[in-house]
Amino acid sequence: MTAVTHQAQAIELSGSRSIEAANDHELLAAIRDGDEVAFQELVRRYRNPITNFVYRMLDDYDRAVELSQETFIRVYTSASRYQANYSFSTYIYRIATNLAISELRRRKRRKMVSLFSPYTNDDGEAVEMDPPDLNVLQDEALIANERRHAVARAITSLPQKYRAAIVLRDVEGLSYDQIAETLKLSEGTVKSRINRARNLLKEKLSAYI
Amino acid sequence: MNSCKSIRELIDEADNPNLLPFEVSQHVDACRDCERFSAERAGLRNLLGSGARVTAPMNFDAMLAARLAETRNRGWLSWLVPANYFRLGAATAGVTALVLVAQYSGIFSSNLTQSQQATAPATKSDQSERTRSAQPVADGGVVADNHRQPQRVTPVVIGQRIGSGRLAAPTIGRGRARETVSSDDLGVVLVRGQNGGSDVQMPTVSLGAQPLLYVSAGKQQPVRNVGASF
Repeated sequence: MTAVTHQAQAIELSGSRSIEAANDHELLAAIRDGDEVAFQELVRRYRNPITNFVYRMLDDYDRAVELSQETFIRVYTSASRYQANYSFSTYIYRIATNLAISELRRRKRRKMVSLFSPYTNDDGEAVEMDPPDLNVLQDEALIANERRHAVARAITSLPQKYRAAIVLRDVEGLSYDQIAETLKLSEGTVKSRINRARNLLKEKLSAYI
Repeated sequence: MNSCKSIRELIDEADNPNLLPFEVSQHVDACRDCERFSAERAGLRNLLGSGARVTAPMNFDAMLAARLAETRNRGWLSWLVPANYFRLGAATAGVTALVLVAQYSGIFSSNLTQSQQATAPATKSDQSERTRSAQPVADGGVVADNHRQPQRVTPVVIGQRIGSGRLAAPTIGRGRARETVSSDDLGVVLVRGQNGGSDVQMPTVSLGAQPLLYVSAGKQQPVRNVGASF
């Protein structure tokens, strides 16, 4: 990869080009020089994908927002250590993935119990307590809502190592090599994990396919 | 013709499940199992990808700015957070435990190294030391040998004065004394008139808690309150 110095990128950014036209590496170089506008632009580009990714990993919107903010704080504070060896999207997804996995491990240690599934059936699986929603919904919206819940439940039931790979691939649409870089795995391992995750999801979501 | 396994791998790896390479499409058209597999995979991927994407809340930027300002303000005092207190305490406890372990294991003890140094040559030259210790003590009855190594000795009886202040050669006793003498057995013997009034260290042989001998011009006298030989 062509080694372009960050200083040169920063000079280029401060020149005639607008900040919207700058690529991620140029923005990082500007952030390193204390450019707040460049950081805002970077946040604008990635806040929705990162929030959505963490939400799919955790199935908890409020926590997903907190962790995506934490992701951007880490990008900001470690901008001076960033090396443009690979794409910035890989870098930021790696930070978000690590935060989400740490959160999942923390939850596993605490054995968090959902208020909606405090009971288990004979097989030990959580049985969701679904309080009735008195709002009148159209059939399409009702089905879509149910499908969305089923997908979210199926994803969160996956083992942690499969979950990150399948969300990055089928929800976020990253390529195999980007996922491999993000998760620090070989491409073969990523393919294997995605294949197994899809096989597991196929069984859980067979009614919706 | 590709096998079903390789075709399914290609189906899995396709970026768009609805746009498969030509060779894959050709195989899928001819193979019912692979056709079903392809349909299932496409349905699953569409299902996963079609879910409503959540977006960041409207106040995301403001919240982020506030957290970032808080992070900046912490600055160099960030290590004062409780988690770092705990880490510092754990590190201190660990170092203390290591020091205690090292102390009780004798790493800092100089006595251990001295005794190790003393015993090593003794084992090597055991035979020569045994031969040397069997020799009678030199004329004059005063032994100025202050070797620190344990050595085998034979009990020696200080000789009687034989004219002009000289001592007769000491005789080797017949009784068996302790086989080895350690450095702790060294005592101070005062030999008046023989060494210019200076004290000379010499090995003594003790059988039990005997007092040191006070040698004065060849006469043996018990020492008063000088101490035991060990």
